[in-house]
Amino acid sequence: MRIGRLIGQAVLAIAGFLAVFPLLWTALNSLKNNVDIITRVPRVVFTPTLANISYILGRDSVLTGLYNSVVACGCAVLVGVVLGLPAAYAVARYPNRWAGDIQFFVLSLRFLPPVAVAIPLMVIWLQIGLYDTLPALIVTYSLLTISVIMWLAIPAFQAVPKEIEEAAFVDGYGAYSVFWRIALPVAARSLAGAVAFSFVLVWNEFLIALMLSSSNAKTLPIVASELSQQGMNVPWGILNASVVLLSLPPLLFLGVLSGFLNSVFRQKKT
Amino acid sequence: MRRRSSLPVTFVVPTLAILLVLSMVPTLYAIVIALQNRELSSASYSWVWFSNFIDLFLDRRFLNAVWVSVKWEVVTVVATMTVAIGLGVLMFEVASPRLRNVYCLLFIIPVLLPRVSAAFVWKFAYHPLYGIATYPYRLLTGGLIFDPLSKPATALFAVASVDVWQWGLFFAVIVLKLLETLPPQPIEAARLDHARRWQIHAYVTLPMLKAPLISLMFVKMIESLRSFDLIYVMTRGGPGVATETLDMYAFSQGFIESGKVSYASAMAVLMMIATVITFTMLWKRVQA
Repeated sequence: MRIGRLIGQAVLAIAGFLAVFPLLWTALNSLKNNVDIITRVPRVVFTPTLANISYILGRDSVLTGLYNSVVACGCAVLVGVVLGLPAAYAVARYPNRWAGDIQFFVLSLRFLPPVAVAIPLMVIWLQIGLYDTLPALIVTYSLLTISVIMWLAIPAFQAVPKEIEEAAFVDGYGAYSVFWRIALPVAARSLAGAVAFSFVLVWNEFLIALMLSSSNAKTLPIVASELSQQGMNVPWGILNASVVLLSLPPLLFLGVLSGFLNSVFRQKKT
Repeated sequence: MRRRSSLPVTFVVPTLAILLVLSMVPTLYAIVIALQNRELSSASYSWVWFSNFIDLFLDRRFLNAVWVSVKWEVVTVVATMTVAIGLGVLMFEVASPRLRNVYCLLFIIPVLLPRVSAAFVWKFAYHPLYGIATYPYRLLTGGLIFDPLSKPATALFAVASVDVWQWGLFFAVIVLKLLETLPPQPIEAARLDHARRWQIHAYVTLPMLKAPLISLMFVKMIESLRSFDLIYVMTRGGPGVATETLDMYAFSQGFIESGKVSYASAMAVLMMIATVITFTMLWKRVQA
């Protein structure tokens, strides 16, 4: 039994190491000169350089990509919040015979293969003249954010104790102010998790952005993937730095999202 | 009071209308394009009805892509669930509450990364000469070269390993949280009956969690359909067509090689029909 436990501990430790080490190694490589990366034996001791990072932050294409990503994801998440949260609340609190169908419809949007959506949208945006613009990307991403936020917010609203809302009704609050002043603040923590999740999802999105942009509206993942195609002379350090830049924003939400996970499963227990 | 309010209508109807428009317009238009012969290079087109679909079934590269997609789906789903259940049970058994929190945080990190980032991180790591993941092999064999991404036999598994790195570790956290929600009495009872640790999990806890675990698998099946980013960055469908899944092939037909938008769309429509039917049926069974 003792040995079994020890092996178990070791396996877990290895898994934990594997979870973060590749990323840490990438971060380390972004601080290296090319000579220190292209070595047969990995080098841990080296003279660090900020050249890669300053190169990345000085490139117009990267800055445009960053700007596009922030605007497209920010706006799409905003649309998702404005349209998704109220709808989720209504489905959660005013159940009717379509509630199940609505939930399934929202989920089924996730079944659609991204290519199947991206090809026709590309043709449509080309015809309207909005191809390769941020509005086209925002509208397309809104489909994603609205459905994901709705899907995650329905259980969050259902978890708000009904008694609090009933008490507010008795105190003379209308239906809308119950939503604003009671349900939203009480469910705020879980809702923040849902919103953060939708942001990470669209920030990480690649295929749709690749198909709907050719030069002006490229998002950061597209720009980063293009850096790798600069011929035979791969600028490894620069590439690593761009990966780090691309990965930082989702990691900022690590705390919110793990809190969200915890709250989801604590509800199930009770 | 609740009944008479206008809230449900004003909150639900606009959102659903927008969702319907945003999803149905591209879906229907995908079908329309698939029945035509549009190409990126020319503006003119005509209706060719089902000839794209007939061509597809005679296209051996398409059949290969179907096969690769099925392989990808099976490999990633099975590996992810195995890793998730294995690590989840291990954390439940041997990790102290504080360690559990640490592991949970670590295991969530990979899934938060953009797929493009994860793909790059591992593409470097698998580099035959300078990669950190191939370094142990070079060290042990005295400098022999192992290039998993350029061998047809290993490429799919190398890419799948990145997917499992992201999702398997994340699902392990969820499996742990599910185990923690179980009531302790049945586990105690099994322990009193001298059941071994693995027997407790194989016969008591995991069967109790059957429904959530199946839902988890369902989620993974849906997410596995989104393999494009990983494959695009790591192998571009290569070597040859060894990792060319349906979305990769549709993309290269439509945009890289020939610009046959209609042909690509026909492929996308077939994918859409297959996934919608499969997942709707699965979902109804899971719910029942």
